Amino acid sequence: MKDTELFDWLTGEALHDDIIRLAQITVATEITNLDVINESADPKKSFDWQQLLLAGSLLARSVERTHQEAALRIATAAVTLETSPEVRDAGAVLLEKLSNRRSVELAIQRNRVEPDLEGRLGVSMRLEANRRRFEDSILLESSGKWIGVNHFQRELWAGASSGAGWLSASAPTASGKTYLVLQWLLDHVRTRKTKIAIYLAPTRALVSEIELSLKELCRSDTDIEITSLPLMDVYFASAAGDKKAVFVFTQERLHLLANLLGEDFSVDLLIVDEAHKIGDNQRGVILQDAVERVSRQNPAMKVVFVSPSTQNPGELLQDAPDDMPKSSVDSDMPTVLQNVILAAQVPRKPKEWSLDLVWGDSTIPLGTLKLSNKPAGLKKRLAFIAAAAGGRGGTLVYCNGAAEAEDVALLISQLEGSEKTDDQELLDLADLARKGVHRNYQLAPLVERGVAFHYGNMPSLIRTEIERLFRSGKIKFLTCTSTLIEGVNLSCRTIIVRGPRKGRGNPMEPHDFWNLAGRAGRWGNEFQGNIICIDPKDDKAWPVGVPKRSRYPIKRETDVVLSSADELAAYLENRNIDTLADLTQGEEYEQVGAYLLNTYIRLGTLSDAAFAKRHSADTLRKLDKSLEGISALISIRQDILVRHPGVSAVGLQRLLEVFREYEGNIENLLLAPSESVDAYDRYVTVMRRINENLYPVFLPDGLIPLHALVVVEWLKGLSLAAIIRKRIEYQQRNNRSFRLPVLIRETMSMVEETARFKAPKYISAYMDVLRLFLTEAGRDDLIDEDFDIGIALEFGVSSTTLLSLMELGLSRMSAVALYEKIARDDLDKEGCLAWINEHGPNFAGMDLPNLIVSEALQVSGLSDAEAGQKLSE
Amino acid sequence: MPAAKPVKIGPLSFSRKRDANDYLKDMLYKYDLGDKLTDEDAAILTHLVHMHPEAAEKIGVGIESFSVRTADYGTRCFWVNRIDGTTEKFSFRACY
Repeated sequence: MKDTELFDWLTGEALHDDIIRLAQITVATEITNLDVINESADPKKSFDWQQLLLAGSLLARSVERTHQEAALRIATAAVTLETSPEVRDAGAVLLEKLSNRRSVELAIQRNRVEPDLEGRLGVSMRLEANRRRFEDSILLESSGKWIGVNHFQRELWAGASSGAGWLSASAPTASGKTYLVLQWLLDHVRTRKTKIAIYLAPTRALVSEIELSLKELCRSDTDIEITSLPLMDVYFASAAGDKKAVFVFTQERLHLLANLLGEDFSVDLLIVDEAHKIGDNQRGVILQDAVERVSRQNPAMKVVFVSPSTQNPGELLQDAPDDMPKSSVDSDMPTVLQNVILAAQVPRKPKEWSLDLVWGDSTIPLGTLKLSNKPAGLKKRLAFIAAAAGGRGGTLVYCNGAAEAEDVALLISQLEGSEKTDDQELLDLADLARKGVHRNYQLAPLVERGVAFHYGNMPSLIRTEIERLFRSGKIKFLTCTSTLIEGVNLSCRTIIVRGPRKGRGNPMEPHDFWNLAGRAGRWGNEFQGNIICIDPKDDKAWPVGVPKRSRYPIKRETDVVLSSADELAAYLENRNIDTLADLTQGEEYEQVGAYLLNTYIRLGTLSDAAFAKRHSADTLRKLDKSLEGISALISIRQDILVRHPGVSAVGLQRLLEVFREYEGNIENLLLAPSESVDAYDRYVTVMRRINENLYPVFLPDGLIPLHALVVVEWLKGLSLAAIIRKRIEYQQRNNRSFRLPVLIRETMSMVEETARFKAPKYISAYMDVLRLFLTEAGRDDLIDEDFDIGIALEFGVSSTTLLSLMELGLSRMSAVALYEKIARDDLDKEGCLAWINEHGPNFAGMDLPNLIVSEALQVSGLSDAEAGQKLSE
Repeated sequence: MPAAKPVKIGPLSFSRKRDANDYLKDMLYKYDLGDKLTDEDAAILTHLVHMHPEAAEKIGVGIESFSVRTADYGTRCFWVNRIDGTTEKFSFRACY
């Protein structure tokens, strides 16, 4: 009998019934308010543990996920159920065999297993344990310290440290990828010649999270500068060898730094986190462009891609320079048990829901969940089931949209289990929500009951604090939107979900669903994670049923679009249409079209591009033909085109022609500084000009004044609360009715999407073309070299002091709040630190939210006690 | 029916108030928001603003240039930009 046959026989026949019963019992312990179907007998007696554990240790050797899952199920049951101390010890040993040291530590921490497990083992077992521990460790060269790792982490470390220049690694969410990559990054930077490293993450939220983790990991190390701002000083200091630098960026920020440095820019090491997002329809192209751009500038650069549960991590290596050694690490091993549970209403009893555990192609009944109220309507159904089943906390409720998330959270907060708290951290967060957003912002009273909602466009300081308190267990219920699968590192104990949609209404694809579901189970904090799917038989909610486990296929957005060459060629040929508002299919083709046109202009043919090997000669010829005619009309230099990924050269050229034909005073083409009285009017005009000539960006046209207003206020350094307040005043002055929650959400989304995304992208392109034109017209005197509109908009700052505060690592929200108290607008980093040190003792009298005070004290190194702060009051 | 009242703004004469209104309205709308006026248009407006009932307050320390910008709540207006950097809007209809 071959090993795999043995493993299949063990799981499929010999121990099949036992493992199912174990699953039933272990899962039931996770769910609150559950009437268990079979009150099980004493687990000590009803199982043959010796046999189960022996089988588990055999199965642990398998490389197949189902076998490993069975072994993990046995080990988890042995450790968590009421078994004898010997069985629990053996369960812990089995966990170690699965290289799951973190779960052993959790078991010890929860008093399931006595400490000093090794001391209780026999000699041969002890030897084996030692050998395993040695194998499951890696040496940090920089410090000589060993850290414990699992199989995947060990492979990832070996791969990254090998001669491979390009590496792509994929593993399920709770595998400790980020932790390991950060450790490796710092070790590598410390021990190698690497001077400049960039860590790319897809969202600002993730950027600040990674920046913070890195800073914590090398707190005492002053030789490495870590920043998320595109600072030329930091770059030059590292290039000169004074210090080493790690920049943590979104793809847009990488382009900002590259734009500032031009030809000088050279990166030694690039890490791309959440690399599967190269398939995103807008920003995926910008990401791909960023990777290609830095790789062109330094072809010897080392690159590490990391992605969660992808089918084909190797795909990302295809575009590596020809002679570059490549390697991919692909793991699919479970670290925590993930239970998919179906919840369907018991006929005629709306308050009773039967729960079934998905087991391969069938299900195992678990019992009946009792709700305390009748769930009328879908929102109530989500809320009541979440509150009933997820009473142990760590419960995430997936909602379709921000409004639904707010409503469901409000419902949960009224149920048992969400009593008002006097926890200081929760009260501080509520205070920040009131002062930082609006005094009636719904988040505040919810947080005071341990419930919160979470969506994109929330200010990052609030969002990260919500995430932190959810992790620590103080927020027990969190309602969220698809933002969570768009690059926030947050895991949970239980996910409640019904008919999940992604973005605007499209049902989730199986791999998106599993990207979400994969977050159930916090390795090292829980032994199991649960995904409760409501109304599994409802085909409106689940058009293809509850999706089977599936891994994410990496597919570059550029490749997807290239495969519809005819439509793309037609789009490109039509791109210079008279009225840009009539342009159709821009959603699909604009970004990639711009990318291809730039590639064509650089190379003279698409056949020489790295992606050519993935497309037919016919496709490339067809596109070459279209691009040839279009590119002949473009006179703007390549070095300007490359600065604006995703912005079409056709649009830029048209803008240049409009400038050339402009008959009025040339000064009328300029923007005004945000403090200037005519700033708002200038932005309205420039945005309109962009809509008409570059691309229809600020929509609908009638809302341009509002877009302009928010952008100017953002640039002026106004706080979100102030921007919201002004909008409310405007509505009131004009006797227009409004709904506060909607107005708050709309303002947040306008800040994030217009002021921080579209405006920097398109207005900085406008300014570059204008600069070109002014030089051509002999009016260089009008160019302001010191002011970079892209950076000013990305960070929402217009003064040196504000930018310095953010360089210190403060969030914009804190920086703006402090800047309201600081008189001078020209302070550098040291100046700001000196100010904080001097005024820290008086913070209590300034009515600043506690969370902002702590952030300020943290970056300055002052302790709360030194500041004599009200935190302790 | 009373005879139409002629309007004179510097070198320009209009036989009816309505014609002056149309002329200035066209001027107001040929610019983009935030634009400064050309020298020729500025010369006409210099005459015009002197005819304003509160001319002294509007002009203040002296005229540097004129702009077209928004006034309250989205309407368009001519603005005097003064040499000290301050700025003030005025309604052309109030001038005659």
